[in-house]
Amino acid sequence: MKKNLAPIARLFWNALGIAILVFLFGASYRVTQIDFPRLVRDAYKARDFVMAFLSPDVVTRDVETTVIEMNFPVPCGSAPEAEMPDSGPRLVTNVPCAEARQTFILEGFDLLPNSEVNVSWLLPTGGTLRIGRVTTDEDGHFLIEVEVRPITAAQDGVPSRITAETLVPVGPLKPSQALLDVMREMFVTIFMALLSTTIATIIAAPLSFLAASNITKRGVLGTAVYYIARSFFNFIRSFEPLVMASVFAFWLGYGPFAGSLALTVVTTASLGKLFSEAVESIDSGPIEAIQATGANRLQTVLYAVVPQIVPDFISFIVYHWDINVRISTIIGFVGGGGIGYYLNEQINSMVGYHRAGTAIWAIIIVVWALDFLSAEVRKRLT
Amino acid sequence: MKTKAPKRPSPWLAGALSLLLPGLGQIYARQRYRGGAVLIAFLVVLGMVAWYGQPAWYFAPLGIWLWNVWDAVGQAGERRVSVLIPLLLGLTAAYSIGWQMVRVDFTSANWERGLAVLRPMFRPDLFERRTELNRMWTPISVPCSTTQEAPPARRQDGEKLAFATPDCAGVLETVIVSVSGMWPDTDTEIWWETNIGDDKPLGGNENAPLIVRTDETGSLTTTIRVPSTILIAQPDPTLQLTHRIYFDQRRPIGGLQFSTNGGFVVKGMTESVTMALMATFLAVLLAIPISFLAARNLMSANPFTFAIYVVVRTVLNFVRSIESLILAIVFVIIVGLGPFAGVLALAVHSVAALAKLYSEVIEGIDPGPIEAVRATGANWVQVVRYGVIPQIVPPFTAFTIYRWDINVRSSTVIGMVGGGGIGFYLIQWIALNDMRAVGAAFIAIAIVVMTLDYVSARIRERLV
Amino acid sequence: MLRIENLTKIYPNGTRALHDVSFEVQDGEFLVVIGLSGSGKSTLLRCINRLIEPTSGKIFWDDIDITAASPAELRHIRRHIGMVFQQFNLVKRSSVMTNVLSGRLGYANPWLSLLGIWPAADKEMALKALERVGIADKAQSRADALSGGQQQRVGIARALMQDPKIILADEPVASLDPVLSHSILQYLEQLNKDGLTVICSLHFLDLVHRYATRVIALKDGVKVFEGLPKEIDRAKFKEIYGEEAQEVRAASFEAEA
Ligand SMILES: Nc1ncnc2c1ncn2[C@@H]1O[C@H](COP(=O)(O)OP(=O)(O)OP(=O)(O)O)[C@@H](O)[C@H]1O
Ligand SMILES: [Mg+2]
Repeated sequence: MKKNLAPIARLFWNALGIAILVFLFGASYRVTQIDFPRLVRDAYKARDFVMAFLSPDVVTRDVETTVIEMNFPVPCGSAPEAEMPDSGPRLVTNVPCAEARQTFILEGFDLLPNSEVNVSWLLPTGGTLRIGRVTTDEDGHFLIEVEVRPITAAQDGVPSRITAETLVPVGPLKPSQALLDVMREMFVTIFMALLSTTIATIIAAPLSFLAASNITKRGVLGTAVYYIARSFFNFIRSFEPLVMASVFAFWLGYGPFAGSLALTVVTTASLGKLFSEAVESIDSGPIEAIQATGANRLQTVLYAVVPQIVPDFISFIVYHWDINVRISTIIGFVGGGGIGYYLNEQINSMVGYHRAGTAIWAIIIVVWALDFLSAEVRKRLT
Repeated sequence: MKTKAPKRPSPWLAGALSLLLPGLGQIYARQRYRGGAVLIAFLVVLGMVAWYGQPAWYFAPLGIWLWNVWDAVGQAGERRVSVLIPLLLGLTAAYSIGWQMVRVDFTSANWERGLAVLRPMFRPDLFERRTELNRMWTPISVPCSTTQEAPPARRQDGEKLAFATPDCAGVLETVIVSVSGMWPDTDTEIWWETNIGDDKPLGGNENAPLIVRTDETGSLTTTIRVPSTILIAQPDPTLQLTHRIYFDQRRPIGGLQFSTNGGFVVKGMTESVTMALMATFLAVLLAIPISFLAARNLMSANPFTFAIYVVVRTVLNFVRSIESLILAIVFVIIVGLGPFAGVLALAVHSVAALAKLYSEVIEGIDPGPIEAVRATGANWVQVVRYGVIPQIVPPFTAFTIYRWDINVRSSTVIGMVGGGGIGFYLIQWIALNDMRAVGAAFIAIAIVVMTLDYVSARIRERLV
Repeated sequence: MLRIENLTKIYPNGTRALHDVSFEVQDGEFLVVIGLSGSGKSTLLRCINRLIEPTSGKIFWDDIDITAASPAELRHIRRHIGMVFQQFNLVKRSSVMTNVLSGRLGYANPWLSLLGIWPAADKEMALKALERVGIADKAQSRADALSGGQQQRVGIARALMQDPKIILADEPVASLDPVLSHSILQYLEQLNKDGLTVICSLHFLDLVHRYATRVIALKDGVKVFEGLPKEIDRAKFKEIYGEEAQEVRAASFEAEA
């Protein structure tokens, strides 16, 4: 009889497990407001961002500007009208002057072909008013409709002027400001990771012995120390560096220092735990053997303990450096400095998407390279 | 015999080559990797110093260069040369520059501010005493009108009676309010509710609660000033409208309940955990088929599939190196603030991570059991069922649980860029300097993450 | 001469591993300790150089009381007692050379040894020791790149570095195949012939008969036999190893008889 019940019991448990899972997923589905149609429908909203990401701002060329100008009295008669030449680079309007709120047509002739032209008003007060940006055709011609604003009125017989600035890229390509900024921030980011990993190692290496059961767990005091050290590591480790960094940035002000400090704290706990596991896994045989040769304590540690743990330690350190570079790239989002800060700024400014693209590319390249490097180093070590 | 033995590289030539270009001599001495590494290390240190260093730091690349010549000579003579010196030089340069760039400045660590930030965190705002509310209110008209008489500012509710004199008042005018029949000797908060339901405190400069204690008969009388902000939403400030003055008493009835922020902590944490669950689930669905495409042993049969393998691998690596936080920003742009954006970000990152791990499992399948099953005359499906699946299911499960664990951790921060979960609240509380709520969030994170960490470690232990 | 008097060891968990064991070892002997698994052989050997602290009893070595030695004196004594282990106990990630040199730690200048600097004489001695056990060519390999037999030879070379008067060998061949076992024991026999005292625990009776000059047997921590190898007959064997073991080992006796 009993034998026959076993499959039924198993079925029951399996069914219960599946029911719980289904319930959990159902609940999660609602809590997380899953809405795939929206994802599809609104995917176009990411177009600007993705396009900018695909055309990052990495190079510029020096720009040479040539300017041509003409007087344009508003309203008519307030100032002498401009003469319109019929050759050479020139601006031509369909009316010689205009009243406020009228529109007229502005044309440019014999400018540089296929180049960008910034057209604007130069006001008598010295200010400028943008009209627009146009591109000339292959004959160096452009045409634009202009609406006259009252602010362009002439003052004391001095008329506003229309200027056309032709921007011509000249000279070789050179790294853009964004690229230089990104490289600098990337350096900061890598150093943040390097510094915090180093300091964390220096603190964690001795502390890890306290959390190693084979070293510490002796007697009441030792056991207490062991559990305290262990829980301390686990507690700190449960916070993402970003969570820590947000508090540290609130305390220390925004910047890489706050980020590094937060990263150091979390890495210390994380390395402490890994180190203590490495220490726990050491083989006591060699220790015995070295003791039997008449070596003193320090010699025993150096010849029997250290060789056993150093490769593991180094591999954990390299691994964490790799992780920390990843985290440093985003720790700036909560005020921790480095490239994340730059990225956040650029994303929040409406015009910064191309620069954000540069930063993201830099992150991808650096993370990729370090991932590879750290994997290679760790492969060599074991 | 003599022709067989390769000619020994000349130490002199090796040294000279390395003097010319670091690493060249080592390459000549048939130490290609060492040479490459020396060259790269030299260039990295040189670049670093050239970019950021003061002139004095050029000692580092210079030292490496000199060492490299010595090393090349040593390599040619098959003598062991320690790499300690260049390592130390490089690290010294890196650390001094890093120190300067990270702007390490312990003087900026204002300890008083640190304590001010930290101390409230030790009194986390998670629970509050369960209390019972004794509430009373009276209507009052604002402002007084010349055309219309104000209804009496008085209300009776069983034993309780509340009234205000006069019956109407203008902004910033003083009113006497009175209530009786309340609990005796109890702090009573008096506050204003506008005609459209906005709460206004009455204490301090209209920014703090006004608290008055009832006498032993349960009555109190005090004066208040009509708050200046109550007419802001009103189109015609002369129009008389009815507002309310509330009297609230609270007393503990034993037990604890979540405070307002505590409720948000629970909500945020629930969101975080479910986000992680959902993201992992979605990721597994996608990662399993992809992982087969990314398994070298399955895909290297012909050039076409191998090309697919290379492309899939590259894309996976590419996506994996974008942190989920950055992905979250993109998804927030698409689907707006909220946990769904977080789920998508975590899911995309997890697909890449899981597919890589899964594909490594597939690459590591032991052909022995498959052969054994095949040898019994099993068909293809049976081979997969008895030879392949038992080999891949436990590690797949272990990796999935591990990923869920990571996702729970990540989901605590993804809200910081608007992706939902506890991070969303956390970043706001920090901005508002509500460190007690931050403390509560920290505790919740620690409990949930530590528990899941433990559980997942246990399950994985069993599986492998 | 090594003299063990009333040695008793009780582990903290209450296990009585040795009970009132007394015997003497003359210089130049090859003493083999036999006994069932768990009978206390390892405990006995480790008590001699106090890797394990005896609970009571005394151990004299030429009138020096090892059990009463201070930590500094103990290190001095240990220098002269080499030890070879069943599991080799090499530092696997260090090179063979470093492992062998570490046998010299008791003699080395403590500070220089911490920096990993060794006198040329020690290095030469290490190479000689490796030559003597026939693996001089492996000096620069990592210890875990060696086979079990080679590793045990490194263990012996390490013990040789101590210039030992006594070698304690705790089941030195238990993890090796029969051919290797003989070659390892032949090294020990050679050392014994050069004047070293060897105290060795072994499992296999045929090895005992072949190498031992004298045998003691332990059972549940009590010495149940002391004498020449040839004195172990069927009855003695039964006493030492118990009833059940008899059938298994009967064939080996028949063969030897
Ligand atoms: N560290 C220890 N703590 C407690 N009991 C121990 C310890 N080491 C050994 N014992 C016990 O002491 C007894 C003797 O152990 P010992 O290792 O000396 O036996 P052995 O003769 O060397 O056995 P084997 O042939 O298996 O190596 C055994 O019962 C063992 O369980
Ligand atoms: Mg033993």
